[in-house]
Amino acid sequence: MTISFRKAVLASGVSLVALILAAPMVFAQDAIFVLQQDEVGVPTYNIVATGNTNVGALLIYDTLTVQDADQSFHPGLASSWVEAPDGMSWEFTLKTGVKFHNGEPFNAAAAAVWLALYAATDNSYMTASIEKIEAVGESTLKLSMKNPDPNLLYNLSSSFMGVVEPKAFAALGENYGVTEAVGTGPYRMESFTIGSETVLVRNDEYTWGSALAANKGPAKIAKITLREIPEESTAFLELKTGGVDMLLGVPTDFLTELAKEPNIVSLTLPGQEVVYMPFNVTKAPFDDINVRHAAALAVNQQEILDSVYGGVGSVANQFLISALPESKVAPEYLISYDPVKAAALLDEAGWKMGADGVRAKDGVPLSVTLWTQSDSVFRRLTEVVQAEFKAVGIASEITTFDSSMIRDQYKTGEQQAAVRSYYWNNADIVDLFFGGDRLGYPNVSMFNDPKAEELRVKAMSGSANGAERITNFIAYHEYVLSQFPMAPIYQPVQNIGYNKDRLVLPAEIHGTRIGAATVLDMTVTE
Amino acid sequence: MLGYTLRRLVLLIPVFLAVSVIIFAIIHLIPGDPVDSLMKVGSGPEQRAIITARYGLDRPLYEQYFIWLGKLLSGDLGTAIVAKRPVLDLVLQALPHSLALSGLALLFSTVLGIGLGVVAALNRDTLLDQTIMGGVLLGSTVPSFWLGLLLILAFSVQLGWFPVSGARGWSSIVLPVLTIGLGGMALVARVTRVAMIEASQRDFVMLLHAKGMPPMRIQLRHVLRHALIPVVTILSLRIGWVLGGAVTVEVVFARPGLGTLLIKALNQHDYPVVQAALLMLAMAVMLGTLLGDILQAAMDPRVRAAMQ
Repeated sequence: MTISFRKAVLASGVSLVALILAAPMVFAQDAIFVLQQDEVGVPTYNIVATGNTNVGALLIYDTLTVQDADQSFHPGLASSWVEAPDGMSWEFTLKTGVKFHNGEPFNAAAAAVWLALYAATDNSYMTASIEKIEAVGESTLKLSMKNPDPNLLYNLSSSFMGVVEPKAFAALGENYGVTEAVGTGPYRMESFTIGSETVLVRNDEYTWGSALAANKGPAKIAKITLREIPEESTAFLELKTGGVDMLLGVPTDFLTELAKEPNIVSLTLPGQEVVYMPFNVTKAPFDDINVRHAAALAVNQQEILDSVYGGVGSVANQFLISALPESKVAPEYLISYDPVKAAALLDEAGWKMGADGVRAKDGVPLSVTLWTQSDSVFRRLTEVVQAEFKAVGIASEITTFDSSMIRDQYKTGEQQAAVRSYYWNNADIVDLFFGGDRLGYPNVSMFNDPKAEELRVKAMSGSANGAERITNFIAYHEYVLSQFPMAPIYQPVQNIGYNKDRLVLPAEIHGTRIGAATVLDMTVTE
Repeated sequence: MLGYTLRRLVLLIPVFLAVSVIIFAIIHLIPGDPVDSLMKVGSGPEQRAIITARYGLDRPLYEQYFIWLGKLLSGDLGTAIVAKRPVLDLVLQALPHSLALSGLALLFSTVLGIGLGVVAALNRDTLLDQTIMGGVLLGSTVPSFWLGLLLILAFSVQLGWFPVSGARGWSSIVLPVLTIGLGGMALVARVTRVAMIEASQRDFVMLLHAKGMPPMRIQLRHVLRHALIPVVTILSLRIGWVLGGAVTVEVVFARPGLGTLLIKALNQHDYPVVQAALLMLAMAVMLGTLLGDILQAAMDPRVRAAMQ
């Protein structure tokens, strides 16, 4: 063998090894996830215009910023940003080398066109504070503001603000988001059947994962099917039999059953929901602050956590999820079970205990109606609240409404008290549910207080920066709590169940929910 | 026959119009509106006015009805308010699944129901007869929701023969068909049994016996033919019921279909979708009834004579 031949063989061998090592690690792996109940039936992946979305949007699209579970913000498609000291402008530096699924480049010009799309849609409020959008060079996006908006980063991290490819958006028109959805995300939409399933295939060119993901791309799972199963029992049985690999939302009732399955792991993430009881402050007896205060103190949050929710989650002592900095109100504003004080307050308000265990005043018994939706967990919860009310001498009658009808009932203003929940991880939920211009629904408490309104305006649009916003919202939140328009009850967690024989999840889950960061780091066991 | 069929088709027009008015009125009488489904956290009251005007919900009801009817007659079912998709697309996506499930369930309950009814009639007042009738009665009284979950537990979880849910492949339709079919079988079996017994007592049957025809042949070739006439009537009435009543089965088995589409649209007050879905179901009932009448005429010369 000549030296040149040996060299040729050696060179070929080295080249071959290099080729193998350089080739993308392609895993022929499929996974099936079941969407959580409130994401079933999403009609489109046109996130610019729609009011509903699901986890698929987090995989098809990237956002400029991403939010972690501790509510902090991190680079997404924007690698960094600078806010002017007066809050009147923002400058985002965008990542380079990013492409949309159809090959179009993602750059400042595309981002500017995308942002402008919101103005003509029902989601226009998300960009309403932006006066002007400028693309400066290839990768700088400058926003001039109408007013300081410390909530901008939150909006930009929202699943409704995934970056869509403007040309495809314009070309597809009504079909955008149904037949095709073009983003920069780690997955492309292969097919979408409304109410049934979405099939996503890996974007093999993806290398720009957010700061929350260890693996920047491509994803390890080749294909993900997001199934929509409206019946919780069926979803549970699918996981049990191996028909699906993960349930993105497991009802608390099923956790005990899941624990019996040797191959199923139950994962808990911080919740974004609060269960509470609004009081109609315009309707007797809750037009008396002492009665509202007493009713709020009559609710035994710990007992409810243990008996209704099996100890899963945590009690709620104020109106916001505890991960939010605006939830850190002064201790005197926290609302906790205190039946002795509740009784004293009712005595002070003139409601004397009767021989039948029900308080009365001027011959009128202290009796209220409790409204709730016709859901088994809410009914059970409301029955417990009813018993707790009885313990302090408040009689109550439960009325249930279908979830599709209850909002309209609230608008009549006939409710006295209700047991309900909201799902949101931003302090502006206080504005939504207690704003004086939203009486009936969503302001089920019919709360319209001049001082609250003043604090509300300051919190919502009078804050120059994030720190100021937190301070202003805490002040607003504390004042609302001091008026007892509601009783906080419970904070659920996010329960996820998955088959550990099929899926390997990262040790630490980043983000506010299972999303792109987690899926990028997820593998399927062959 | 042709004249009869045409006359019946023409008579469907006023029925169709009356049904459309009723459907439109009922939906708009339900409290609430779809704008709520479109209003999101953070959006203000001014959004309501914009959205309401955009979908013409601020117009008088009668105007909305005629606009809708006009579009309907030109084949435009409108645009779904919440989904923002042509309603026709949504219906066409759901309809094949509903037709497949309903059609197979109807076929199953028909074949099995008639078969069991015949066996019961031939073994009248025996233990076999009572067992069959008791069994089908039990099947019809068990709620489909519960029956579906039971079948899943037995055949999917324990035996692993069929998938738990979904609409992929032939195996995924077996349990849903069983769930609907077992429930619908009872009526068919009972009607077949009664009709067989009644027909067996006719004079022509005695004549056939006298002529020496084998009893089984008499039953299956002659008596059954008479017994099927009321069964056809029953089946034609069941078409609409099976199509719309499959909603619980669609939910349990996570299958797309007209029922699921209708329920979702009702919850969201998505009027165009609800109207279209209800109209589809109403038309299925009307056409099913017409088909039953035509088949009856084809099978029963007395009906043909009455037509003339």
